[in-house]
Amino acid sequence: MRLMDRVIPRIGNYPDWGFICGRISVLEGKLLSRDFFQALVAMTHYDDILQHLQDSFLREYLVPGSPWEDFTALADRSFYDLAVSLRRESPSPAPANLFLCQGDYLNLKNALSGLKDFPFLSGEISLEIIQAIADGKFADLPPVFREAVGAAGPEASKVDPDVSDMVVDGAYLRHLLLIAGEIDSPLIRACIHDRVLIKAVSVLWRALRQGCPLKPYRQYFLPLGEYSSVVDEMIDIGNPDGWPMVIGADVGDILGEVLQWPYNEQVSRFALLGVNHCIRLAADGRMQTAGPERVFAFLTGLHAETQNLKLAVSGRLNGIEPALLKERLREVYG
Amino acid sequence: MNPEWIEFGRGFCYGGAGLAFGLAGAGSAWGIAIASHSAAGVMREKPELFGRMLVMIALPGTQGFYGFISAILMMTQTGLIGGNVLKITLGTGLALFFVGLGEGLALLVSAIKQGEASAAGISLLARRPEAAGRAILFPAFVETYAVVSLLATILFIIFLTQPVALQFLGS
Repeated sequence: MRLMDRVIPRIGNYPDWGFICGRISVLEGKLLSRDFFQALVAMTHYDDILQHLQDSFLREYLVPGSPWEDFTALADRSFYDLAVSLRRESPSPAPANLFLCQGDYLNLKNALSGLKDFPFLSGEISLEIIQAIADGKFADLPPVFREAVGAAGPEASKVDPDVSDMVVDGAYLRHLLLIAGEIDSPLIRACIHDRVLIKAVSVLWRALRQGCPLKPYRQYFLPLGEYSSVVDEMIDIGNPDGWPMVIGADVGDILGEVLQWPYNEQVSRFALLGVNHCIRLAADGRMQTAGPERVFAFLTGLHAETQNLKLAVSGRLNGIEPALLKERLREVYG
Repeated sequence: MNPEWIEFGRGFCYGGAGLAFGLAGAGSAWGIAIASHSAAGVMREKPELFGRMLVMIALPGTQGFYGFISAILMMTQTGLIGGNVLKITLGTGLALFFVGLGEGLALLVSAIKQGEASAAGISLLARRPEAAGRAILFPAFVETYAVVSLLATILFIIFLTQPVALQFLGS
């Protein structure tokens, strides 16, 4: 789809989306540049890192004396708080929910595995409902989740963790497709469809690397909307070398490129290039005058920034080489 | 001249005046609302930018005043204000009606579009406050056509209410 088809100026969105887009215009100016991260990964002293982070969204969260071990949780909290704030002020919660629902599914995965610990920040499902699900009470599950989890949901708690993982991963991707379908934006739909396909390929590839059979995915992971047949064919082929032909388009090209990399780096490299591809797609949303695309594009950029900060700070604190960290940095939006 | 036609002429004239300020006022309100939505969002994060945004919020409001000026001019030139009531022919009345309608439409559309241009300028200002001078140019260009519309309307009103024109358009 051409850029101009995806980003038709939506002047009529001003009355509804004008306020939030005005706010986002300011927030976009605060997103960090690639140079910021290049400098960050080269730093060796904690004080320098702390000083450098004062330019980021984390400034308000970095209180003196907070332990560095909590940095990941702190960065996640910073992203979560801003996404929730944007959702509250948006005419539609859908663009923010595309990012916030991930924590719900990670908690759901824990609940279905029988764990009583739900450390992920909840987006749409409260921890009380997650707790009830852990106790086998699925009636409280919000309708959109029930639809995404599908028929396998209630039984998922009674099966082994591998199966519940497949069910929850599939449900999460279906949920993304459902939310994207609700939003009147070809750009967001295109981004989410590619994100879902990349995630599906990653899930199957990781399963294959771990020596797991792919056939059960047909039962527990599917359907995935228009990608059901693609995933079905990938399961039939069972060898990633044959997948690029089946997938085609941009994601197929990325997979084809990644297959040329050393064996051990292929899966992680595919995930990184896939994320970068989605960030580049979403960045076109900046050109929209007003509408959900602006919220989605900003949150995509902020999410990438949060992941980069986590990688860079944790990496430096653990003494990982700057060159390696630079290689792993995601595309930046600022 | 048939007195009934004079009444019609006056009616059309004042109808045109009403349309001029009515459409222009509606457009200004709409345009200001569009710019205000964006400005309020920007102020949520950077309240200190209010001063720089104020001109861009206010710009779509000028069309309402232009419509008001035209309506007042129509009323003074035809004697509704000032007491020297003209005998407006049906032709003159119709001409003034369409002048008012044309100006009203031009001001309505330009005010809304200026609001959109202001909102875009506010977005630019939010990201790069140092670009405030350039950001204000976008809505200022839209203003040009509102001013042109006002000038054309003033000239039409003045010439259409001259004795020569009244005679020429008389029935």
